[in-house]
Amino acid sequence: MAKKKQKAPIKLSLKERFGARLLSLSTALEAEDEDAFMAELNSMVRERDDALWTQLRKLTSDLNGALERFQLDSRLVDLAEKEVPDAKQRLDHVMKMTDEAAHKTMDLVEQSGPLAGRIAKEAAEISVFWQQFMSRSIDPQAFKQLLGRIDEFLHSAQKDTETVRANLAEVLMTQGYQDLSGQIIRGVIKLVTEVELTLSELVKMATLDRSEDQRSTDQYHATRGHGPVVPGVDHGVVVGDQVDVDALLSNLGM
Amino acid sequence: MSKDLRFLVVDDFSTMRRIIKNLLHDLGYANVTEADDGNTALPILQQGNVDFLITDWNMPGMPGLELLKAVRADAKLKAMPVLMLTAEAKREQIVEAAQAGVNGYVIKPFTAVTLKEKLDKILDAKK
Repeated sequence: MAKKKQKAPIKLSLKERFGARLLSLSTALEAEDEDAFMAELNSMVRERDDALWTQLRKLTSDLNGALERFQLDSRLVDLAEKEVPDAKQRLDHVMKMTDEAAHKTMDLVEQSGPLAGRIAKEAAEISVFWQQFMSRSIDPQAFKQLLGRIDEFLHSAQKDTETVRANLAEVLMTQGYQDLSGQIIRGVIKLVTEVELTLSELVKMATLDRSEDQRSTDQYHATRGHGPVVPGVDHGVVVGDQVDVDALLSNLGM
Repeated sequence: MSKDLRFLVVDDFSTMRRIIKNLLHDLGYANVTEADDGNTALPILQQGNVDFLITDWNMPGMPGLELLKAVRADAKLKAMPVLMLTAEAKREQIVEAAQAGVNGYVIKPFTAVTLKEKLDKILDAKK
């Protein structure tokens, strides 16, 4: 299909553009009027200069724009090729650290629980005999047994509580991941801020229609999930806690 | 309800699976299998050795909502009790899960008491 004809700017003929000027030049020439001749000539040259300057200004501004865009583009390439993959790796590391810390904490808690349980159980059992002893209703054989158990208990309780104490100290140390992961996450937040700024500059340069993209993103999250609610981030209508969930489900007849 | 109940816990985070597994153990349920998303959970469910499904929503691979829908669409599995244990808190999501046939919805972070309460409620209703 033929391109729609654009309205061409009105182009004056040579005669229209220079006829009057040449006439006054030639009149001045005939009359040997040097002042008039030179004034007319200067005026013509100035006109040519103005056009040249306009062109030059346009070129400079184009070049400026291209340079700005190039800087933005190369920063974006740098972000996309290096810093974003780096950030992914850094966040992976954070995940690994939190995973390890959580498992280690759970290991230590699981190790300590039975020890505390054993001490409590032993103490409760000894306590029964101890009450008999206190009320003087214990026979000599059982008393001898009681002394043996108390002796054993004192040793094992000392050992077990020492292990529990060491485990608790270890749990405390394990929380050190928060400092390291916090620093990494802070770095990633800085990067995300820069990506955001660079992209919004780019969007400003090329005003895009985003409504279609927004719909497909919403659809994606509706099935896959949005993740936990983060304070300060707009999540739409969310429930506050389990009480709200129960109320909502009860309204739905569940 | 029998303590021999066989549970499948589906969550992409091993720490969360471990927490749920420990809580189930504390409640007396010792038979707990784990899976890290819907894709790994479905074959386990289809083997027919699971009585109760506890699943997260937001997981790589197949998310929990799709797993729930797949369970409800499977003739052999459709009566399976499903408890969703998730951080997804959007009102419309909870409604969607309810419409897809979830039996209970517990929001993270959760307590041992809440988990027990919801489990008991579902199991009582199934009696």
